[in-house]
Amino acid sequence: MPGYYDMDDILMEDEPISVVFQVGAHGCGLLDPGSETIDIEKGTKMDLPYWLAHQLHLRQAVSISVPASFSQKTRKEIQADAACVDLKGRCPYFYELGCKVAPLVGDKTIGSFLLYAFTDRYKEMLSKSHSASAVPRFSSRLTKEESQLFQAARSSMAAFKKWRTGGSRLEKASILGRKRKRTIPLGPSSP
Amino acid sequence: MAGQSDPHLSVFTPPEVEFLAEDEKVEIIPKLSLGSLHMICGDFGPFRPNIASEVPLWLAVALKERGKCDIRAPDWMSVDKLMQILEAERESPREFQPLPFHYIEISKLLFKHAHDNIQDIYMVRSLIEDIRDVRFHKVESGLQTISGRTHAVKLKNLSAMEVNIVRPFMIRTLQAFYKHDSPHIIQQPEKSGSRRPQAPDRGPRPLQKKVTFPT
Repeated sequence: MPGYYDMDDILMEDEPISVVFQVGAHGCGLLDPGSETIDIEKGTKMDLPYWLAHQLHLRQAVSISVPASFSQKTRKEIQADAACVDLKGRCPYFYELGCKVAPLVGDKTIGSFLLYAFTDRYKEMLSKSHSASAVPRFSSRLTKEESQLFQAARSSMAAFKKWRTGGSRLEKASILGRKRKRTIPLGPSSP
Repeated sequence: MAGQSDPHLSVFTPPEVEFLAEDEKVEIIPKLSLGSLHMICGDFGPFRPNIASEVPLWLAVALKERGKCDIRAPDWMSVDKLMQILEAERESPREFQPLPFHYIEISKLLFKHAHDNIQDIYMVRSLIEDIRDVRFHKVESGLQTISGRTHAVKLKNLSAMEVNIVRPFMIRTLQAFYKHDSPHIIQQPEKSGSRRPQAPDRGPRPLQKKVTFPT
């Protein structure tokens, strides 16, 4: 599976999703920090990480509700102006989570909504990333995936500018940078 | 060593592109007499004073640094030709004018080492900068039209350094759009959210629009 070893995938699956239990769970009260009993009643609503929610959903033990990041409020905000919405604060893995949650929740509109948001923000990002000036405000609103895109363009532009102003072609290898400690033993060690 | 400087993006760094550009041939006018040079890539020479001969750029720069030759500026590097190209670039908003593939690197090396061999060097330099700016703006405005349906992006007559700058961004953009746009057309749940393109076992995708920059 290509996504198995991907670090971003693993981190993304840790995002909390709110679920409603369809069956009672014996001895799982530890999952909910606010519960008083050691069992979970049927119909309890709580937050679980995505990987757990997904597995339980496959066993039909929970039903998943739409996460807050895809609620009507967020949709309205994005429709107003996608580029200004702080997606990193809400959910740094906005797009991946949406892609994974959409089939579970059965909401077909999430996909097109994600596409719309991404297209809008991409246009904004295109102009800003190649300008090679410091724009920290904008970049702090991007999700993980978008900021990788942003950094890729930014670093290649910066490398070009540096080359153009005539940097030397030979660079000192980074491994020689710091002082290394002597590893030669100074004398026979005492037993 | 290309690509090893940044393993995630697998691009060339600008010095690496410059290194590759140095294989281009230029004309030199030797000042001294020199016998044939037998190199792995070929034989050059013999060199006689004031008789022009063609050598790779790296050899020309090496000889120039030792004061053994004068480099003759390539034909495309005259003020008139560059003015023509700049006008043509400004007039056609979707096409790129044919320019030598490594024009940025060659011009930079020649400015650095052979500034006394180029006429009107300041004019030439500013013209090349303008041409570069105009072309890059065209690339950017063309990139805005990429949508989820884009299957491939064709950029004709783009030079080596310009390609190198946009390569990581464009690859990631295309992958991101592929990921976001495909399952909703076929109305199937996406199996995994991997960023790499999926194996083509989803069935035929509907007819895609191919974005080409020159019409």
